[in-house]
Amino acid sequence: MIISLDWLADYVQVPATPDALAERLLMAGLNHESTARVGADTALEIEVTSNRPDCLGHIGVAREAAVLFGLPLHVPDPRPPEGAEKATESVAVEIHAADACPFYSARVIRGVRVGPSPKWLVDRLATVGVESVNNVVDVTNYVMLECGQPLHAFDLASLRGGRIVVRHAADGEPFTAINHKTYSLTPRMCVIADAERPVALAGVMGGADTEIRPATTDLLLESAQFAPLAVRAAARGLVLASASSYRFERGPDPAAVEWASLRAAALILELAGGTLEQGVATAGSPAGTQATIALRPGRVAEVLGVAIPAAREHAILAGLGFVDTSRGGEGSGEPAAWRAPTWRRDVTREIDLVEEIARIEGYGRVPENLPITARPVERPAREETVRAASGVLVGAGFCEALTRSVVSGRLEAAAGPWGGATALEVRPALVRGADRLRRTLLPSLVEARAGNVAAGAPHGELFEVARAYVGNADRGGDSPVEEPLLVAFVTGGGFFAAKGCVEAVLERLGVAGAGGQTTCRPLDHELFARGRAAEVLLARGPAAAERIAVIGEFSSALLAAAGLDGTAAGAEIRLDRLEFAVGRDRKLHRPSDFPAVERDVNLVVADTVPWADIAAAIRTAAGPLLEHCRLVQVWQDAERLGAGRKSVVVTLRLRSDSGTLSGDEANRVVQAVVEACGRAVGATLRS
Amino acid sequence: MSTVALDSFLAELDRLKADAVGTLATAGDADAVERARVEFLGAKSGRLKALQKLLGGLAGPDKPAGGKHFNEAKQAVAAALEAAQARMTGAVAAAEAIDVTLPGEAVRLGHLHPITQTIRRVQEIMGRLGFESVDGPEVEDQWHNFEALAIPPEHPARDPLDNFYLAVARGADPLLLRSQTSTVQIRVMEARKPPLRIVSLGRVYRPDTADATHYPMFHQVEGLYVEPGTTMAHLKSVLRLFASSFLGGDVHVRFRPSFFPFTEPSVEVDMEWGGRWVEMGGAGMVDPAVLRAVGYDPDEVSGFAFGLGVERIAARRYGVADIRDFYRNDVRFLEQF
Repeated sequence: MIISLDWLADYVQVPATPDALAERLLMAGLNHESTARVGADTALEIEVTSNRPDCLGHIGVAREAAVLFGLPLHVPDPRPPEGAEKATESVAVEIHAADACPFYSARVIRGVRVGPSPKWLVDRLATVGVESVNNVVDVTNYVMLECGQPLHAFDLASLRGGRIVVRHAADGEPFTAINHKTYSLTPRMCVIADAERPVALAGVMGGADTEIRPATTDLLLESAQFAPLAVRAAARGLVLASASSYRFERGPDPAAVEWASLRAAALILELAGGTLEQGVATAGSPAGTQATIALRPGRVAEVLGVAIPAAREHAILAGLGFVDTSRGGEGSGEPAAWRAPTWRRDVTREIDLVEEIARIEGYGRVPENLPITARPVERPAREETVRAASGVLVGAGFCEALTRSVVSGRLEAAAGPWGGATALEVRPALVRGADRLRRTLLPSLVEARAGNVAAGAPHGELFEVARAYVGNADRGGDSPVEEPLLVAFVTGGGFFAAKGCVEAVLERLGVAGAGGQTTCRPLDHELFARGRAAEVLLARGPAAAERIAVIGEFSSALLAAAGLDGTAAGAEIRLDRLEFAVGRDRKLHRPSDFPAVERDVNLVVADTVPWADIAAAIRTAAGPLLEHCRLVQVWQDAERLGAGRKSVVVTLRLRSDSGTLSGDEANRVVQAVVEACGRAVGATLRS
Repeated sequence: MSTVALDSFLAELDRLKADAVGTLATAGDADAVERARVEFLGAKSGRLKALQKLLGGLAGPDKPAGGKHFNEAKQAVAAALEAAQARMTGAVAAAEAIDVTLPGEAVRLGHLHPITQTIRRVQEIMGRLGFESVDGPEVEDQWHNFEALAIPPEHPARDPLDNFYLAVARGADPLLLRSQTSTVQIRVMEARKPPLRIVSLGRVYRPDTADATHYPMFHQVEGLYVEPGTTMAHLKSVLRLFASSFLGGDVHVRFRPSFFPFTEPSVEVDMEWGGRWVEMGGAGMVDPAVLRAVGYDPDEVSGFAFGLGVERIAARRYGVADIRDFYRNDVRFLEQF
């Protein structure tokens, strides 16, 4: 909203510089955007919050200034002379869309001379950025900018059948607006029609057929109430926002419908001549209630933390147009009963009155040095989990990325590892083409890596902590959308580089120490190259094992979709399924004081035997003396080992808590291990 | 016992000394030094040892002079040996010396995103003030994103063009990506009773066209404090403590009236930063309608809430002129934090 200071002075004489006025309005809730000189006038651009349609007119802003500076406010009282003819005989108004238009009024002025506006009017409109059209149209704009009530003037001769019909548009009904563009309407929109066709898009824009022309002599002056939803549907649906629609979306003062009509009529008679017909043709009744609100003594202090004298509270509210209807009146100790002015429909409750008093009095009076009592705060398990996982990856040299939660279909072609047959879609797209809620972070990270490679960045080792979105509707969960919390990363290393990072995260979280058993098994998934991916399953207690991570070298399809030349691997871990681990108490297992004994064991097995099976057999057989089992080497050699065989060399570190192990004791463990591996995986000892 | 002539003893001594010093001075490597040591100073059959034996054969009156000369010669040889050995050690050290100005073995450092760092800093400061971090879903329903926050159906904030609604039909309660983290505050209040001090944080979504100061996905940190007797003075005091901790020094905060559906009164919060007032976010007293919506009695408890735009704070703190840079994921950008 742009305010002309020359114009404002018609209502209140503020003895302050434009800057001082702007600052005072700013601290009362009218944010200052800019100040500019326009000719001899000053334009003050202010931001008006959506709850204050009263300040979308000069009078509303003048009222604020008057209260802030303790000055009287002068509002014009228009009483245009009327002729003998009756408006109701010139036009009949019908409303067939009461939900979109509670009240419509029409005045008729005949014999006007359309022409240029006087300089004062042209100048004031210029200050607020409105171009002069002609004296009639300028008056309708001027009065809207004065009181916030939009008006429209029709060329009466172009209206057919002497009727104004307010109704919903027919589906696909065409309408040519003043801007000479033709729009196709929908039934959610409301139109003003004559006996035959729409002549205005209600509350948004007039029609080209009935606009005021230089030759116009008779006119119909519309002043009406239009409901915000219908106006918004038209303004947004047709991308046709106007000063009028902006105000109707916020709800002008109901009392201003009649005031604005009289004010505009008076100004048109003054500037364009003609005769105003008697009375007004109307339909419906003005909607709008005035709340009467009790304000308890002491309530302001309870909210603000600082008391304001009762007399001051009273003066502020009265200055803003509130009327104290209580019998006790000021100082009686009884709650005051304030009736809100018609233009303040946003004020309906005691707390709203408190805010009015506070913003006029100024928040500078609210104390800023209250002691704040201490309270214990625990870091939630989820946050601990995220911090631990991020810490491992930062330590491993990864940079944290933030990629978009909503991606294009190109990146969402593959199903995620966490379910959801198809990606959920959002409207509108987040950015162009990106309208799918992602089911996995991995494609986004591969794409981010590709960007770094293309930019010649030092590396593209990236991780991210974010949610994925899995539609749950078909599975009947509590929430229609499941949101797995994930940490994912991408690396230029291979599968085992990625797996090492996953293992490090699980170790840092303490998954094993908290009783979680993880197993790794091959995974066939579109994200990854065949035979080069795994899933990690977590078993805890009696519950079935569930997937907590996927690891792999990315498939060529994904690499191509993400635009990455070369190969990459990565993994994604379900942090929400690992929160159990971080909260556990850690208890010391005191390191043994006795020396360790190391034994190398060289086992030969079929090359199809997975390491996990060998390791499991070793651990079971070695028992509690096994401190650590380290894989040293795996090699194949058809000549020396036989076809289809491999050698697996492990080092067993054995140690007892209660004494030094003898060579014999160590040998017995090795013997047990070899025998167990023979039984379990068909291993033979290679000497 | 035969006697040894002093003259010939001294001559022998001088010859030995000259031999030893000469040999040690010209020894080219550690082995040569060692051979010379054995030859001249060897404990069993070194030449000095042999001469020492002759010392006993000198005539009585000659013994002091012989002994004196012997000691002088022994010291001279020992000194020559020491010098030769030192020369050898130095040569070895020089051969093994390193260029200490060469770079160390590279350790690749990872980096947390500046947005994460900013969020954590806010969390830590608020944690010291007794606020617990909480988390909630990003896909929300109408109740938590709007209705419980006193945003009625006809409110422009609910317009389909101003939100990311999910395309899946779900009857009269369409889902959307949350447009504010206040949704989490509603969920926490529904589940717990006051007193309550929480900060909710995370990603939020609004269909703004991406430019230097807008991005359709961004981060919010929102605080909520509900206790009997809470006033705006508590709000201002908490924000002042926050601002002083976050910005350093004794920072004042300023309230300007504003409008948010879920707070009343509502204010914009300015903090002094770099000598001027900088808008940091919005705040206000929790609207009684919101308290009622979650089953609290507004006559029993009151509270305040505030929200900070993380990107705005981080951009200012780190001198990032275009917030889209936060989402480009360029390692050259990320490495600087």
